[in-house]
This record gives sequence, structure tokens and C-alpha cells, in this order.
Amino acid sequence: MLGKQPGRRARASRRRLSITRIAALAVLAIGFSAIAGSSAYFLPAAKLAWDSTGQVVSIASPTPSPSSSSTSSPLPSAAAQPQGAFTVLLLGSDDDSKFSADHVLTQSMILVRVIPSTHSVTMLSIPRDLYVPLSTGGTGKIDGAYSYGRAGAAIATVQNDFGVHVDAYIWIGLLGLIKLIDAIGGIDVVTSNPVIDDYYPQDIYTSDPYEYARVAVLAGPQHLDGVHAMEYVRSRHGDLQSDIGRSKRQQQVLLAIRQKAKQLSAADVPVIANALGGEIKTSLGVDRITQLIPLAASFDNPDNITQIVMLPPLWHGGGPGGSLIPNWSQILYLVRQYFP
Amino acid sequence: MISRFVLGLGLCVLMLVTSFTTYTYLGGRQSKVAVPAQKPTAASPRPLAFSLPGTLYVAQNGALYSLSVGRFHQLTPEAGWTQPSLYPDGNYLLAVQRNSLFSDVYILGRFGQVVRQVTNNTASPRDPDTGSRHWSFYPRLSRDQNTLWMSYDSPKFGYDVPFSIWTMPIGGTIHQGRLWTNSHDYTGGDMEPIPLTTGGVMFTKYDYGPDGNLIGQLWLTTRATPYGVDGRALTTPGEDCLQPSLSPDGHTVAMVCTYERQIARLVIASWNGSSLGPRVAVITDQLVAQPTWAPDGSGIAYLAPGAGAAPFQLWFLPKNAYAPPPPSPTPVPTPTPGGPYNGTLPSPAPASPVAAPVIHPIQITTSDGFDATSPMAWAP
Repeated sequence: MLGKQPGRRARASRRRLSITRIAALAVLAIGFSAIAGSSAYFLPAAKLAWDSTGQVVSIASPTPSPSSSSTSSPLPSAAAQPQGAFTVLLLGSDDDSKFSADHVLTQSMILVRVIPSTHSVTMLSIPRDLYVPLSTGGTGKIDGAYSYGRAGAAIATVQNDFGVHVDAYIWIGLLGLIKLIDAIGGIDVVTSNPVIDDYYPQDIYTSDPYEYARVAVLAGPQHLDGVHAMEYVRSRHGDLQSDIGRSKRQQQVLLAIRQKAKQLSAADVPVIANALGGEIKTSLGVDRITQLIPLAASFDNPDNITQIVMLPPLWHGGGPGGSLIPNWSQILYLVRQYFP
Repeated sequence: MISRFVLGLGLCVLMLVTSFTTYTYLGGRQSKVAVPAQKPTAASPRPLAFSLPGTLYVAQNGALYSLSVGRFHQLTPEAGWTQPSLYPDGNYLLAVQRNSLFSDVYILGRFGQVVRQVTNNTASPRDPDTGSRHWSFYPRLSRDQNTLWMSYDSPKFGYDVPFSIWTMPIGGTIHQGRLWTNSHDYTGGDMEPIPLTTGGVMFTKYDYGPDGNLIGQLWLTTRATPYGVDGRALTTPGEDCLQPSLSPDGHTVAMVCTYERQIARLVIASWNGSSLGPRVAVITDQLVAQPTWAPDGSGIAYLAPGAGAAPFQLWFLPKNAYAPPPPSPTPVPTPTPGGPYNGTLPSPAPASPVAAPVIHPIQITTSDGFDATSPMAWAP
């Protein structure tokens, strides 16, 4: 008996050790396989996100510009920068088959300034036909900057001409907007008036991008899918204010997308990333986007959302090629107020 | 002690199960924002739907449905059908069938069968000009059932395609039609006519407000206006109101007002035949569309997003929410039976005021996603 005791204890000890080891191995297996399962879920999205986000932009050095030379009216002094405030340039392009992929115009240019500490957002739509000095050299409509030098040229043009520091950009094409809105299940918008267009370009999902379609987006509260939201923000033939009226509608849809995005969860990211499939580009990194998603949900007070569209006398018509001649002193006064 | 083989096999199974479970769990954590709306006939009717009187006609995804005794019935296939409107005698429906290039008004039976096409807005298939086609929307019938009122995109001026209010004989053509309003250029025009028993028409006119923004205003026109002459505005530009609906007794108008913002409040106002009374906002926390009076005056049905991500659902606001019953009269001492009494009557203790219960709107459906640009029709 006495001789057997140490052996039994040793076996019992080995057994206990084995159970501990097995338990440890099981925990490790569960941990690794959970990571593997998560990776399998998020990896395709991460790959797409990696391709679309964190785009490197090269911005040309500043050239003499209206913002540096305008002395015709006193500009409001720049206020102290609120903590964490940043400015994003949103660019929207007709990227249908009428254009080569790398030389598209930016039909929509919206400067968005976000101040997290006050939960406030300011959106300023820049008329696409504004006749401005381009960062790539020469003067032309501002929507051409992107086609000459991609996002870097568009950012540099805005920075130089408007005296605004742009922290990041987001570019989206026609299909991207349609897919984004469809991926989030459509948006609820109060359309301000019937948008009627007998000659709307039928250049999406078609074999002939030069055909026309008829559009009739009726007025009032409604749920819009991607195609109809695109019709609402893109049509301009039936609007006396043409591109300006369209800019107002674009801001409405942007706010509706933000409203809908509040209902998304992290598990939706792969579906949305797959849906977008490279139709969006941004200089924001994945980590920054992850920080911004919950931030977007906190902007609830409509009084803290300022929507600005440039109207006369900030510009007047009659510029070359149907462009708009800017009144720089008034534009810079406005911009300095909201984008210090 | 278990063998290494069994241990390895067990761990492999555990890892497979865990990774699969994790993947499935994450997939299950997706929000429901992109889940397509159910057909009304597929969704379980809510018990509250039984409380609605008569038959309500609604549109979803290009099909018309009726809601009667708590149950939906599909009346037409999903083929562009929208904007049902009831004949004054209640025997037929007017509805719009819309495709990508034009829309037409049809007469339907109450079970959805096509009786007759009323308008013909197409053009020759060989005509490549998209502008040769027309839209007809928001059909209504005059009380004598002989005249069709509608929004129609004529006259057009190139890119400027505003809607105007037109009438035409229900058995005639648009060539026999009559232009009733002068819509303003590049505004979208005049929509949603409501023919009045007095002979005029109430409608929504879209126009530029003083601040340069496009807004909606309710207007009244008592006769077909000659060119350059408008009717009369019933609401201000700042109220930005649209989608008028006249109560069954003709004395109250329900409408949607947005105040030039991305909100849509349900507002009611008294109506004396020529002007609107003070506005009362009865729903201020929802995106309200297409208010429609119950034929028995028991409340107002409307469309608004449901809780969470659900698109436009059917709601009902009982009458007590916007027209609470008058307080019961203060009790008055009654003569004591048995002859006159000259003494002092005991004064009754004043009844303590009873707070009226707050009446909330009732959500009738939860997952249907109705067409919020389509007015509803409600038969007794």
C-alpha cells in the first residue's frame, strides 16, 4: 500500500495536468477558431476597404490664388479651431461609360466640416461650373480639376482657391451611390417638389449611354431606392436653379444616408463593402472610418446641421463655356465664417 | 488520460464548430435595414387592423391592395399600379398605371379588374423623342362622375415640364380636356387636385418661396384660370404644405407640412369653402405622408416609417387624438321631486378636472413598405 501511494499520486497528478492542458488547448482552439470565423466574415470587406480607403493623394504646392490675394473686403478672423474639428471634401462623379475611368468630372463637390465637440456639421456645395484657377495650371470650371489630376488636384484647387484646409476626401461614382443606398435598404427623404425630366441621361445599366429616359420623382415624404435617389439628386433640367437646385437635393440625400447609417452595425460592413465593390475611394483610413461611424450617429439635432448652397451674388453667369464667375470677396467671407 | 488522436480530433471538431458558429453569429448580427418589405398579404394582420372601418386601398411596389376586416387582398399584379381613388358612388376605382416613360389612368373594379383605360399618354414606339410621352397622376372624379381631374404634364416647354391641373370627360380624350391651372416654370407644377362640391378645385402648387427654395402650397381655384391668372394660396410658403385631404363632412382639411425641412407633420385645419382656419399640428414626431380620412370620420389613416428601419407603414390616428370629446357639463342641481323647495340648495362639489388620456397613433402594419407617393382610397 505504502509503495503504491506515490505512483497513484503521480498518475493523478499527470491526469490533472492533462485535464488542465486539454482545457487550455480547448480555450486556445476556441479563441483561434473564433478569430478565424471573424476573419472569414470580415476579410473580403477588409480587402475591399484596404483597396478603397487610405488613398494617398499628392497635393501640389500652393499657387497664387483668390484666397491669398483677395483684399477687397475684410475677412472674418479665423476663430480658434475647435478640438477635433476636421473637413472632408465629398466628390461625386458621372463615371458612366461615356467617360474614361480616370478622367471624370466631379459634378458634385461638397465641403463638409465636422465639429465632434459640438456635434455640428456644416455642408457647403461648390457649384461645379465655378470658373476658378486650377491647381494643375490655368483656369477652368472647378469640376475639371479631378479629371486633370485626380483627387489631389481637386483638393489642392479647393484649398488654394477657398483658403480651406481639407483633411480628407471621399469620391463616389454614380453606381457607387446607387449601390450604397441599396445596400442600406434605401433612404427616407422629403422631396421638396416634383422632379420631372424628359431628357434624363440613361447611362446606367444600359448598352447605349447616350440614350435618354423620362424621370418623374413625385413630391413629399417617400422611401427612395438607389436608382430613384440618383434620379432625384442628378436631374437638373426641370430646375430653374439647375446645378444649384441639384446641390440642395444632394445635401438632403446625404443627410438621409447619414440618418439611415445610424441603424447599421459593424456586422453590416462586409455586405456594404461587397455592394460598393470599389465604387468609392477615400483618403480616410479604415481605423478613422471606424471612429467616425459612431460619431455620425451622435449628430441628431437638425439645428446643428448647416446646409449652404452658393447663390448669386456669390457668382454671376456669363463665364467662358457657360461657367460661373465667382465673386471671390463674398465667397471667401462666407467660407471663412463656416470653415475657419 | 485520453489518447492524443482523440484529443486532436476533438479539438478539430471544436474549432470547426466554433469558427462556423462565429461566422453565423456575425451574419445574424446584421441590421435589418436592407431586408425587403413583405407583401401585405404575406404579413400577419395585426389585430388592430380589425378596428378600421370599411375598405382601405393602398399601393405597394406597383400593386394595389385592399384592407378589409383586418386582412389584405392583392387586387392587381405588380405592374406599376399606384394612386387609387374611389368613384363617388363607391362602385369603381380610378388608378394610375405607370411605366418608365409614361403613365395612364384606368377605371378598375373594386376587385382590381381593369374596366377601361381613360387616358392614352404613350406615343408611337417609333418616336424616339422621350418628350412625346406624358404623365397623368393623382386622378379624381367629380361628384357627378362625368369629369376626370388629374395632374398632367402639359403644356411642356422643352426642358421645362411642369404639371398642371386638367379636367377631361371620363369617356373622352385629352383633346376634349381643359387646362385649369397655370403652373409656374421649372417648379414641378400643380399636383394633387381635390375637386370641391362648390365647383372649384383645391390642389398643391409647387413654386419658389421668398427665400428661393422650392416649396409646396395649398391653392384654391374656383374656375379654370386664364393664362397669367392664378387662384388663391391657402397656406403660406413657409408652411410648405402638400397632400391635402378633405374630411367626409367637408369641414376639415388634413395635410402634410414640412416647414422647408426634412420633416413632415400631420396638420389639420378647419375649412369653410374658401379659406383654412388655424392650423393644428396633430403629429409632429413622424414623417407623415398621404393623410386619408376614414369615411365614417372616426380618424385619419396615414403612412409613416415604422419603428427601427421599417419603411412606410400604415398608421391610424383615432379622432379622439385631434378632436377630443367636449368635457362633460358641470352638474346642475335639479329640483327635488315633490314640490318646490325654497331653501338653499346644496351646491354640488365641483368635479375635479379629469386629464384627457393621450391618444397615440396606432401602427397597423409593421413590415410592408407602402408607396408613400400614392394617396390611399377609403370606401365605407
